[in-house]
Amino acid sequence: MNRFVKLSFALIAFTTVACEDVINPDLQPASPVLVVDAWLTNQPGPQSIKLTRSQPYFESVLPPGVSGASVTVVDQLGTTYTFNETESRGVYTWVPPAGEVFGTIGYEYDLTVIVGGETFVAASKMGQVPAIDSITFFVTEGGQFIPDLYQAEFWAKDPLEPGNAYWIKAYKNGQWLSKPSEIITAYDAGFTKGSGFNGIDFLPPIRRAINPFDEADDGSIKSPYVVGDSVFVEIHAVTEAAFNFLNEVSIQTDRPGGFSELFATPLANVDTNLKNTNPNGSPVLGFFNVGAKSGLGRKFSSLDEVTRIE
Amino acid sequence: MRIFLLFIFLPSLAWAQNRVTISGYIKDAANGEALIGATIYIKSLSTGTTTNVYGFYSVTLDPGEYEVIYSYIGYTTQTKLLALITNTRIDIELAVEGKQLEEVVVSAESDQQGVKALEMSTNQLDIKTITRIPAFLGEADVIKSLQQLPGVSTVGEGASGFNVRGGNVGQNLILLDEASVYNSSHLLGFFSVFNPDAVKDTKLYKGAVPAQFGGRIASLLDVRMKEGNNKEYEVNGGIGTIFSRAAVEGPLFNGDGSFIVAGRRSYADVLARPFVDLLSEGGALNFYDLTGKANYNINERNRIFLSGYTGRDQFFFDKDQGFSWGNNTGTIRWNKIFNDRLFSNFSGVFSQYDYSLQFGENDQDNFKWQSSIRNLTFKPSFSYFINADNEISFGAEANYYSFEPANAYGTSNGTRLDVSLPEKYNLEAALYLGNSQRLNSNIAVEYGLRYSYFVGFGPGSQFTYNDTIPGTRRTPIAEQTFEKGSAMSTYQNFEPRFAFKAELNDQSSVKASYTRMVQYLHLISNTTASNPLDVWTPTSNNIKPELGDQWAVGYFRNLGKERNYELSVEAYYRNTQNQIDYIDGADLLINEFLEGDLLAGRGRAYGMEFFLQRKTGRLTGWIAYTLARTELKVDGINRNQWYAARFDQTHNLKVSGFYDINRRWSASANFTFVSGTPSTFPTSRYLVQGMLIPHNANESRNNVRLPAYHRLDISFRLEGKTVKRNGKERKNSDYWVFGVYNAYARKNPFSIYFTQGDERVAQGSPINSEARQLSIIGTVVPSVSYNFNF
Repeated sequence: MNRFVKLSFALIAFTTVACEDVINPDLQPASPVLVVDAWLTNQPGPQSIKLTRSQPYFESVLPPGVSGASVTVVDQLGTTYTFNETESRGVYTWVPPAGEVFGTIGYEYDLTVIVGGETFVAASKMGQVPAIDSITFFVTEGGQFIPDLYQAEFWAKDPLEPGNAYWIKAYKNGQWLSKPSEIITAYDAGFTKGSGFNGIDFLPPIRRAINPFDEADDGSIKSPYVVGDSVFVEIHAVTEAAFNFLNEVSIQTDRPGGFSELFATPLANVDTNLKNTNPNGSPVLGFFNVGAKSGLGRKFSSLDEVTRIE
Repeated sequence: MRIFLLFIFLPSLAWAQNRVTISGYIKDAANGEALIGATIYIKSLSTGTTTNVYGFYSVTLDPGEYEVIYSYIGYTTQTKLLALITNTRIDIELAVEGKQLEEVVVSAESDQQGVKALEMSTNQLDIKTITRIPAFLGEADVIKSLQQLPGVSTVGEGASGFNVRGGNVGQNLILLDEASVYNSSHLLGFFSVFNPDAVKDTKLYKGAVPAQFGGRIASLLDVRMKEGNNKEYEVNGGIGTIFSRAAVEGPLFNGDGSFIVAGRRSYADVLARPFVDLLSEGGALNFYDLTGKANYNINERNRIFLSGYTGRDQFFFDKDQGFSWGNNTGTIRWNKIFNDRLFSNFSGVFSQYDYSLQFGENDQDNFKWQSSIRNLTFKPSFSYFINADNEISFGAEANYYSFEPANAYGTSNGTRLDVSLPEKYNLEAALYLGNSQRLNSNIAVEYGLRYSYFVGFGPGSQFTYNDTIPGTRRTPIAEQTFEKGSAMSTYQNFEPRFAFKAELNDQSSVKASYTRMVQYLHLISNTTASNPLDVWTPTSNNIKPELGDQWAVGYFRNLGKERNYELSVEAYYRNTQNQIDYIDGADLLINEFLEGDLLAGRGRAYGMEFFLQRKTGRLTGWIAYTLARTELKVDGINRNQWYAARFDQTHNLKVSGFYDINRRWSASANFTFVSGTPSTFPTSRYLVQGMLIPHNANESRNNVRLPAYHRLDISFRLEGKTVKRNGKERKNSDYWVFGVYNAYARKNPFSIYFTQGDERVAQGSPINSEARQLSIIGTVVPSVSYNFNF
């Protein structure tokens, strides 16, 4: 909903005299902080956890990996999964024995990361996801300045019991749609916990959030998909804490500028569920989530696949 | 209540037997409009009074002969020699002075009022002044004009509302003919809902608010509508860049009454339709408002007024998708003069603010959401003019509120779900008593007490939340439901008010005041500027009433040979409790557990305001300078330390000048210089799941200042010819206004924000991060408008 409002205000900006410039302000210096990036799923294949450090804001290079750490996950039955450091610095993986996958839906997991003599812990619980039934295509007919927009829509039904949270990731031609404006989350079938949408198909704005609205070089909007493109959608189960985390990331990173700045919230740090066992020890950032995952893909092979015109 | 009345009347009636009262209305001779704040001066006693908001005055004296001077700035003074034996009713009509010498009036009281009046921390702007201030796109605007005054600030262009002495936008009580206006903006914050053609007078109380008013902790903006010309029909209007206006006024019942109807509509969509294919069938992008008022003099002692406002902003892509918001208000008032010294007014008010948002193209998939706040108010108020030295005011107020946070449903693939939140019902009631007392010819005091009571009642439920862990959203642990009509949570408060004035000599005075205000309704807004979808929410078991205490001292002085300069210096300190703040990631829309996402904090604001005004002559205008600090302290934000509020401005300088070049041309200019407002900058960045997240390692809020803001606006006004070609005087009058806003095209920063680049980055590649500075108005904005009267 916020997104809809944001979009609307950005449109009003069409007619205005606003202007934006890239600037280079001095920022306060800060020491690097350990970042734990641990999102585990039940999909086949190795699971990995990444340890890095934060970097100065304007340092636009990949963050340095942290090696030499001990990384383990223990489930509620006491089974230990050890994540071993790989050749790429800071990446720790657990490789399942043949025929097995990581995790059981409904189980609780504890993560322990030991770096430089300090111990960082977090907990998570593996949630369920609905299967994606289908992906369809529809078109919004363009006009003088906007081309016909071919868009995809995925169909999945939120399970009946309330309290499920999801992170939905869309891929176009194998590339994850990762812009800040493309972070898609759902709580049950709606946007937020208190909203009451449960046990039905995801609300239309969620179903259709899988479309990239990129600009062409001349500034015009490109059709999200054209014949020949493929689309792949994943639903990841996330905990309520992780759902809040993703929404905070969206609030902090999705800054379209223009009039939407009038309605921006102040910059604030995104929460973490990791803790240093020594409250006076070094700070830590990042997130630990364990969740089931489902996915479905479709290739847009001909215009005959367009089922609806809007 | 009856005992309360007796208590007031008995003693005063007893000892007032052998005195006489002169009373009546003071009006404009041209159109019968009541003059607010006109002066009645008894020469031999060096004392006097001013008219109230209905133009009524009353002075009680010993019998005798007096020279009574009636004056109002910009009008010809009238002097009456009166031999007073019995109570006398004297209604006065004052005529406007020479037409070309229209004075710009900020403190509308007569020349000496700044120094002589007990009142402090107030600014009055009459509509003549408002229409002369150079305005954005040439449209005179009440709220934007206020921002030229000391102690008033804003977070930036396009932001709705205004900030007074460190209060946030939702802490101002905005009254349009006594009806609360919950959102004072059109088109984001570029224009306000008040149509200048229908406004007579505005008065802003930044402190020292009389006991009669309450309900918000920062300020009171009292906007009074015109009554309408009771002598002849008149049409006013204007054609501008963004909208057009028209107003009709005239007499009713052979001049015993009058009316005014004024409307405006923007035509951005009409102009844009051919170019923007976003606006398909049923699309709209406009705002309009309609303001009307009528009054009728039943007899010398009874008069009734009926006023109303309706306005709406619409923004629809097509008939099914878009949003709109608007206010509706209605006020019925009855002025009753019980006797020469007891003036009363009974007001019944209705006010509503609502918005709706909808999207989805068909019945299978859509979403509709409406939200509203509505109140019904009854407010009897009395002024008892005991004698020349005491004026007692007392009365009561009852506000019934109903809140509809969300009346919403959604349909997904044919399945419809109602996700509405329950309505909330509240009563806010108050009793007040105050006296304005002159102790001797130099010293006067005003003291008053307001008692306020607030209750929320069923049907409904209230939640109990777990303890706050700073920075974490709270979850409900218990729910208590209430039946219809049963009280859920009640609060009561005493709000003392005190003001003091001592004249040092004929030219200068010092004043001091203390005001406690309590606020039971809260505007829930965590964004930089307030937004039309912000929700008003009542005090409850989780949200405590906001409390504000303000102390102010001031020095007032007249300067110059003709005493046509007025200087005032005021210092204030304001302390607030239970200010609302928000947990990071708080969800403010359609959230049943909203209260779990709110934090309560403390606030403090202090500052000094300098105001120098030249009131008469060819060159008039003022310089307003404010030095101020506004800070908040909230657990879980900024390491629990004090931090500057988003609208904190250290220096705030405003210069407004008006110059009459010749009989037809006049020029106006504004200059604004404001220190940069605070902003939060990150120190670091980090990656989680390929998402680049900004981070402030010091956990600071508002740790950096944006660059300073400054701007010059100029406008020229050309009066139409007053004489026709054939030498006859024209009956109609008209004028053109040519203006430039932001004359030297400064790109004033509204915000600096941090974001990753717009390009799509392949996974595993480094992401570019940058800072961008946004200027809402980054260029010169010229305008022209044509205005007429016939």
